Amino acid sequence: MSTAVLEVKDVQKIYGKKGESQSHALKGVSLTIEKGEFVGIMGPSGSGKTTLLNVISTLDRPSAGFIQIAGTNITQMRQNQLADFRSQKLGFIFQDFNLLENLTVYENIALPLSLQGVPSKEISAKVNKVAQTLGISEILQKYPVQISGGQKQRAAAARALVHEPAILLADEPTGALDSKNAKSLLETMADLNENHQVSIMMVTHDAFSASYCKRILFIQDGSLYTEIHRTTDRPQFFKQILDVLAELGASHDG
Amino acid sequence: MLLKLSLSSMRKMMKDYLVLLVGLVISISIFYMFQTLGMNDDYVKANSMIRSIGIVFNVGAFLLAFITIFYIFYANSFLLSLRRKELGMYMVLGAKKARISQMLFGETLLMGVVSLVIGSLVGIVLSSGIGQLLMGVLDISADGYYPFYLPALWMTWGFFLVLFLMTATINAIRLARATELDLISAEQQNDNIKAKGIGTMVVAILGILLIAFGYYLLTHLELYVALGFIVGAIVTTIGTYLVFISLLPVFVQMLKNNKKLNDRQLNAFTLAQLRFRINNLTKILGTVAMLIALGVGAMAGGLAFQQNVELVASIGRIYDITLHDPVAEDYQALARMQVLEQNTYRYKKDEQAYYFTKDDLLAHPPLISTNTMEQYSPDNEPKRVTQPLPEKAYIMNNDPDEEQKLARVPKEWGQAILREFISSYEMLADRAVQIVDQETYAKIEGSEHKVLVAQVDDFLKYKDDLKAMDERQMKLLKSGQQDDQEVYLNSKYSTYQQVYAFTSGTLFMGFFLGIAFLAMMASCLMFKILSGATRDKGRYSMLRKIGVRKELLVGSIYKELFVVFVFPALMGLLHVLVGMKMFSVILLNPYVNIWAPIAIFVAVYAIYYLITVRLYRGIVLPKEV
Ligand SMILES: Nc1ncnc2c1ncn2[C@@H]1O[C@H](COP(=O)(O)OP(=O)(O)O)[C@@H](O)[C@H]1O
Ligand SMILES: [Mg+2]
Repeated sequence: MSTAVLEVKDVQKIYGKKGESQSHALKGVSLTIEKGEFVGIMGPSGSGKTTLLNVISTLDRPSAGFIQIAGTNITQMRQNQLADFRSQKLGFIFQDFNLLENLTVYENIALPLSLQGVPSKEISAKVNKVAQTLGISEILQKYPVQISGGQKQRAAAARALVHEPAILLADEPTGALDSKNAKSLLETMADLNENHQVSIMMVTHDAFSASYCKRILFIQDGSLYTEIHRTTDRPQFFKQILDVLAELGASHDG
Repeated sequence: MLLKLSLSSMRKMMKDYLVLLVGLVISISIFYMFQTLGMNDDYVKANSMIRSIGIVFNVGAFLLAFITIFYIFYANSFLLSLRRKELGMYMVLGAKKARISQMLFGETLLMGVVSLVIGSLVGIVLSSGIGQLLMGVLDISADGYYPFYLPALWMTWGFFLVLFLMTATINAIRLARATELDLISAEQQNDNIKAKGIGTMVVAILGILLIAFGYYLLTHLELYVALGFIVGAIVTTIGTYLVFISLLPVFVQMLKNNKKLNDRQLNAFTLAQLRFRINNLTKILGTVAMLIALGVGAMAGGLAFQQNVELVASIGRIYDITLHDPVAEDYQALARMQVLEQNTYRYKKDEQAYYFTKDDLLAHPPLISTNTMEQYSPDNEPKRVTQPLPEKAYIMNNDPDEEQKLARVPKEWGQAILREFISSYEMLADRAVQIVDQETYAKIEGSEHKVLVAQVDDFLKYKDDLKAMDERQMKLLKSGQQDDQEVYLNSKYSTYQQVYAFTSGTLFMGFFLGIAFLAMMASCLMFKILSGATRDKGRYSMLRKIGVRKELLVGSIYKELFVVFVFPALMGLLHVLVGMKMFSVILLNPYVNIWAPIAIFVAVYAIYYLITVRLYRGIVLPKEV
C-alpha cells in the first residue's frame, strides 16, 4: 500500500496565453513524497521551484498533469474546495513570514483552527502546545512588530503546523533570517520531521539549508535533473549537495 | 514623457477618477443652483416669499463648499495612495520630484476644470428643472428667474477654482515633503496599537454625560432659550467626538477580548481591522455623525414645518369656510361639498361697531377650538359655546373708557366672533363688536349683513372652490375699503396657503441641503476608507493563501465596513430624534412623517456603503487563478 502524501505526475505549467510569448516554467515534473519525509527542492534561480510549490500548494493551477495530496486529486477542484483544502491539509511557511501584523502571535497561530470552527477552548490548548514545541510560548500575546525575525518565522511555522496538516510546504523559509536564526529554525524543522512525523517539502537555493533534508530533488529549466538521498551525516551531505550544484552549473553553462 | 505617464495612469484608474468626478459634479451643480436663487437680487426682492429664504440658500451653498474642501482632500489622498508605488518608481528611475509635483498639480487642476464644466452644465439643467418645480410648489412666478445666470456662474467658477488651486498646491507640497522611501514603503507601515487604559474609560463616560446634558438642554428650550440652544449644541458636539474617540474603541476592544467570539472563523482579523479603523477614523466618524444630524435634521425640519401647515391653519379656526354676504356662486360651491355643519348669523355694521344678535347666536351656538399654539394636543376636541348671555348688550374691542356702560362679551363668544366670524383684521379696523338683544338690534341704523360659517369633511378636497370663495371675499372687502391698502384674509384656506408656501421653501431647501450634505459626507468617509485600502492588500492575499474562502473574506469586509458606517449613522439619527424636540416650541408636532427623511438618509447612506464595499473589495481581494 502506498503511503505517499504527495504525488505529482507529468505536471506542466505554461505562463502566458496561446499566441503570446509563452514561458514554459514546468516541463513535465513527476515526484512522490512519502509520509514522514523531509524533501528539499533545489535549483538555480528561475528554474521553476516556486512555480512547482505554487501548483502543489493549489495557489496556482498546473497547465497539465496530475497532483494528489493525502489521497485527494487537487487538479479538478473548484475555488472553494481548494481554499478549504489549503486550510485543512496544507501548512505554509513563506520567506517573508506572512504573519498578519494586526493580530497577536496567538491570534495568527489560531487562525487556521478558527477557520475550521474548532471551539475556543481546544484552540487554546493546541496553540499552546505548538508554541511550546517551537519555543515561542513567551511571545504569544505580542504583535509581529514586537518580535524578531527568527521569532516571526517560528510563529509562521507554528501557524503552519497547528492544524496538523498532511504536509508542510516551505518556500525559502530561511531566506530572510540571519545564519543563527536560520540554523535554529532548520533544526526545529528537522526535529519536527524526526520526532513529530511531520512531512515537509522545502524549496531553497541555499545548500546549507538543504543539507537538513533527507532527500533533495534538483530541478533545472522546469525539469527534474537528479535526486540525492542523505545516507551520511549532515556535513558530508552538504558537500555532496555542493558537488551536484557544481555539476548543475557546469551543465548549465555548457 | 511624464505627461504621457500621467495620462496613461489616469486612464488606468478611470473608475476611481470617475467616482471623484461624480462627487465634484454633484457639489458644483448644487452650489450653482443655490447661487442662481441666492444671488439674483431683483428676483429675490420681487418675491417676498423668497426673500426670507434667499440668505439660507447662500449659507447652504457655502456650507456645502466647505464640505467639498474635505471631500477633495480625501479623494485626492485616496488617488495618491493608489499611485504611491508608481510615483515612487518614477523617482527611483530619476524623475525629478519637482516635475512629479508639477504633474500632480496639473492633474488636480485638470480634474477641477473638467468637473467645473460638467458641473455647470448639470447645474443649469438642474436649476431650470428644480427651479421651475420650486416655483410651482411655492406658487410664485418664475419671471425674472434665470437658470442660466452669469453672476452665479462666475461665483461658482471663481470659488471652486480657488478651492482646486488650494488643494492642488497643498497636495504638491505634501508630495514634495515625502521621500522616495516614504512613497514606496508607505504600505508597510504598521498599525500602532495603543493600549486603552482607564483614561479612555473616563473620557467615554464624560462623552456620554456631555451628550446627555446637551440633550437635556435641547429638549428643555422653553426653560433655557437661546443660551440653552448654543450650550446644548456645543456640548452635544463635543460629547459626540469624545464618544467616538473613546467609547467606540473600547467597545471594539471589548468584543475582541471576548475569546469565544474572537476565536470564531475570521473574527480575530475582522475585529483587528475594525479596531484599526475605528482608532484611525475617530475624528471623521464624529464629523460624519454630526453632519448626518445636520443633513437629516435639515430634511426633517423642512418636512416638519410643511407637515404642520394644516395643523397651523386649523389650530385656532374650526370652520373651514367663513363667508360674509354669500352670493349664489358661494351657495353653488357649498352644494358641491360635503358640509358637516353650516350656520348663518345676521349682523349690522356702522362706523362704531359690528352688532350680532343674541337670538341668532343662541339659536345656533358655534363651535370653537380648544387648542392654542402654546398648548396643542390632537385630543382637544372642538367645543360648542355654552356661556349664557343674560344681559341686554355686551361689548368688546372698544375704547377702554366706554367699558363702564356695557358688559364685556364673555370669553367664548368673543373667541367665536374674532376667530370664526371675522375673516380679516382689516375688517375690524377700529370698530368694536357688540352682542345685543333683538330690540336693540332693530333700532341700529347700520347696514345689515350676514355671515355664513361652515365645516366640511376635509377642506383640502375643495381647494379650488375655497380659493374662488376667498377671491370673492377679497373683492368684497376691498370694495368697502377707501384706499388701496393691502388686505389679508384669515380664512382657513388663506392661512393654509400662506404657511404652505413658506414651508415648502423650507422643505425644498432642507431636502436639497440634506441630501447634498449626506452625499458629500458619505463620499468623504468612503474615500478616507479607500485610501487605506492598499495597505490591507497584503493581508487579504495572505489570508487567501492559507485557505480562507472568498465568501469569508468578502463577509469580513461587509461586516467591518458596516460597523464603521453604522455607528455614526446611529449617533446622527439619535441626535436628530432628540433635536427635533427643539422644534416643539414653534411646531405643533415636529415628528410628523419623520420616517421620510430617515428613509431617504438610509437609502443614500446604504448606497455609499455598498459602493465603498465594492471599491474596497476591488482593491484588496487578490485576483483568482
Ligand atoms: N506569473 C508568471 N508569469 C510569467 N512567467 C512566470 C511567472 N512566474 C514565474 N514565471 C517564469 O517561470 C520561470 C520559473 O520561475 P520561478 O518558479 O519563480 O523560479 P524560481 O523560484 O526557481 O526562481 C521563470 O522563467 C519565470 O520568469
Ligand atoms: Mg522562487
